[in-house]
Amino acid sequence: MTLLAYLLLSGLTTGALYALIALGIVVVNKATGVINFAHGELFMFSGFFAWMLHVQMGVPYLPALLLAVAFGFMLGVLIDLTAFRPLKNSDVISLVLATIGIAFMLRGTARVLWGGKSDYLPFPPITSPEPVMIGELMVIPQQLLVLAGAIVIMLVFAAFFRLTRAGKMMQATADNAKASTLVGIRVDRIYMLSFGTGAAIAAAAAVLMAPLTLLYPDMGFSFFIKGFAAAVLGGLTSLPGAVVGGVAIGVIEALAGGYLHSSFIEVSAFIVIMFVLIARPTGLFGPSGLRRV
Amino acid sequence: MALFGRHNVLLAMLLFAAVAPSLLNAYYVFVANTILIYVLLAIGLNILVGCAGQLAFANAAMFGIGAYGTGLLQVQLGWPFWLAFPSGAIIATTVGLALSLPALRLSGLYLALSTLAFAQFTQWVFLHWESVTFGAGGFKTPSISFAPLPVSKTLGLYYLSLLLVIILFFLAQNLMRSRIGRAFVAVRDGDIAAQSLGVDLLRYKALAFGISGFYAGIAGGLYSAMLNFVSPEGFDLFQMVIQKAMVVVGGLGSIAGSILGATALVSVLEALRAVKGFQEIVFGAILVSFIIFMPGGIIGFLKAKVRGWEEPLHRGPPGKRVPIATPSQSGEVRS
Amino acid sequence: MSDALLSVRGVSVTFGGVKVLNGVDLDVKPGEIRGLIGPNGAGKTTLLNVICGIHSPQQGDVLLDGVSIAGRKPSDIARLGLGRTFQTSQLFRGMSVLENLMTGRHHRTKAGLIAASLNLRSYREEEEQAEEAARRSLEFFGMSEFAERPGSALSFGQQRVIEIARTLIGDPKVVLLDEPAVGLSINRLAEFDALLRRIRDEKGVTLILIEHVIRLVMDVCDQVTVLSSGSRIAEGPPDLVRNDPAVIEAYIGKDLRARHSAS
Repeated sequence: MTLLAYLLLSGLTTGALYALIALGIVVVNKATGVINFAHGELFMFSGFFAWMLHVQMGVPYLPALLLAVAFGFMLGVLIDLTAFRPLKNSDVISLVLATIGIAFMLRGTARVLWGGKSDYLPFPPITSPEPVMIGELMVIPQQLLVLAGAIVIMLVFAAFFRLTRAGKMMQATADNAKASTLVGIRVDRIYMLSFGTGAAIAAAAAVLMAPLTLLYPDMGFSFFIKGFAAAVLGGLTSLPGAVVGGVAIGVIEALAGGYLHSSFIEVSAFIVIMFVLIARPTGLFGPSGLRRV
Repeated sequence: MALFGRHNVLLAMLLFAAVAPSLLNAYYVFVANTILIYVLLAIGLNILVGCAGQLAFANAAMFGIGAYGTGLLQVQLGWPFWLAFPSGAIIATTVGLALSLPALRLSGLYLALSTLAFAQFTQWVFLHWESVTFGAGGFKTPSISFAPLPVSKTLGLYYLSLLLVIILFFLAQNLMRSRIGRAFVAVRDGDIAAQSLGVDLLRYKALAFGISGFYAGIAGGLYSAMLNFVSPEGFDLFQMVIQKAMVVVGGLGSIAGSILGATALVSVLEALRAVKGFQEIVFGAILVSFIIFMPGGIIGFLKAKVRGWEEPLHRGPPGKRVPIATPSQSGEVRS
Repeated sequence: MSDALLSVRGVSVTFGGVKVLNGVDLDVKPGEIRGLIGPNGAGKTTLLNVICGIHSPQQGDVLLDGVSIAGRKPSDIARLGLGRTFQTSQLFRGMSVLENLMTGRHHRTKAGLIAASLNLRSYREEEEQAEEAARRSLEFFGMSEFAERPGSALSFGQQRVIEIARTLIGDPKVVLLDEPAVGLSINRLAEFDALLRRIRDEKGVTLILIEHVIRLVMDVCDQVTVLSSGSRIAEGPPDLVRNDPAVIEAYIGKDLRARHSAS
């Protein structure tokens, strides 16, 4: 029983991270209809940036977190300006490949700036590494912090979308860009805001996660693919779906890793993706697609 | 015939390739052989992505399956190269065909994701199925001999690669000029209308996937023989991006462009071999720049500026032709 | 009716809980030009989609020349002799006009992978014939000069004509046209009218067209079927249908109809 509880908690924690990444992907996709394949690299790069601030420059954790989130936001805006805007009317292939190109530029830059292929940078934990006992469960405080932090961030963004004007404008644009233009919403600005927000969420996730694992330039893609799987599972345009999807994948991974074999951790996300896409391509909460001719 | 047209330029490249081993040292013969292998990969990928419009990301995985297939059949089952090589290609082709099934239900982004997931899964198998694939460390393949021909392995493999490139290039070009090529483009440009004209989507998507699997499998077999070594490293996401970049740079939908794109990018890769980080930055930059500024690739540029680079989708007698728009160029509709 | 070329029998279609087509019957005789009209949302395009195989009906059947085709693959139905054009332009942009037309011969040719890639004679001959057919078709439509133009370089009206040509070149028995006259100016309507008649007379093709341009429907159609909210509410020669009270009501609503009959 304890193993199960432990695995669930572990899965919940990583799941919360995947949920945040998925959220960032869905925010951008909902508004612009585009999947930003550089999303994982945004996550990675912001993480390294926070590392640089906190570890190399001695900036305290919380300010480093906020600066990294702001930095992430700007990276997102940069992607909007360099890749999305010039290609807004092109086909899917072009947009996907362009964001992939940017992903590689970011990855290469991180590698050049902060480490070669096998350098893994440690990020000091915020809380003491001493595990505490909750009931029968041995828990590392950092995990709880991640979970709590993720929940806080999700609530903040939920509030942002529901309560602020900008958030509502983003929803409107996502629903109907043309109509939004007609009521005076500056759709271009909203796209930029969406890219920035999506990236900011990724940055927050990175800084939350950094103390738990090591940073390395190739991590972007593996988190992206899991976030993407979570987003697809939840239906690419559903924000709550992204959260559910993320948690589901985190838990599935933990259970597979614990009960089957550790090597299954890597691959469960892919198996999930393949099954979901074949059985119900629009995900759990997505719309059922009808093609109009 | 146009002086700098496709026919003459490719012929010149062919002649150079034929005499290259006598002009270059062993290391550069290796690079040239690598280019030949990537030409095959680029042609196969272009048929699938450029001509048939299937946004698939599994080519590097099929490249790996070809390499592993050829290598393992020799090492684990003791087969001779001449049997293992085509068999490896057949295995890759079969996997390609299997991938066409999800392609029926999915398109665009969803297809990209599922093929990407499959590719990652394949990588995982290469890494973890250690009893069969020897895991992360990879394995050596036996050195092949071209007896009774009096050529060294390096030379023999180079000319084998060149011969295969020539044959497979012509097959691909003929294919694209036929009703099959037109069916591919129809699937890309309007699959509902294509069906209403009798184009069976399953059959043609399967064909496109199968062909790209075959070309990737052949490339993989040659690769395993060239390196005498197979490991998971050569078939990862970066590989996939390189191949995509070749197709974009050369020109989506152009067989001749695949040759140009592969040559250009392998050369760039070679030049930047020293620092992986720089390779990634430059690659990413090339990919983004071409997509934004030259979406038709090198071929698109040549078709617009130089005579003799048209690639029609039918055989007819050469006449006065206007360059065909490649998929990313937006056409103008005047009313 | 046993002499119908295309027969729709009791077709019902439900999408996500909404009944879009409700037991629709339709019989089209060979050589007929049939109009299919009705207010927006009546299910006209859905009916065409069912006939050509894009949707499967939950109930009912469709017979083409006596052969049941409901629920079959669109490409199979095309091979049996059904052609179709679409509301949105489906011209293949990556090909020339000539190549677009040659693609229309796809199911009448059969060179396979081997024959094509090895450039065998059987394949070469087939290609020549297909190209010939494409050029003849361009002549019929008076568009020979457009042969080598890219599909994307045509005006909207020209695209529609080429799409019709592309469908016809496969020698279909029946062609479904979805709003073929969209965007045509009044002056062009008479031309188009004549074109449709020419197609029927010279090529022996049966036509079914969805149209909102009432004038065209009245002039060129032999019979008109009216759909409203998924059901057939009237059928007959154009003049009869135009004055049918049920039809008028469907289009302009009960109150207006009352005013109309009162005035």
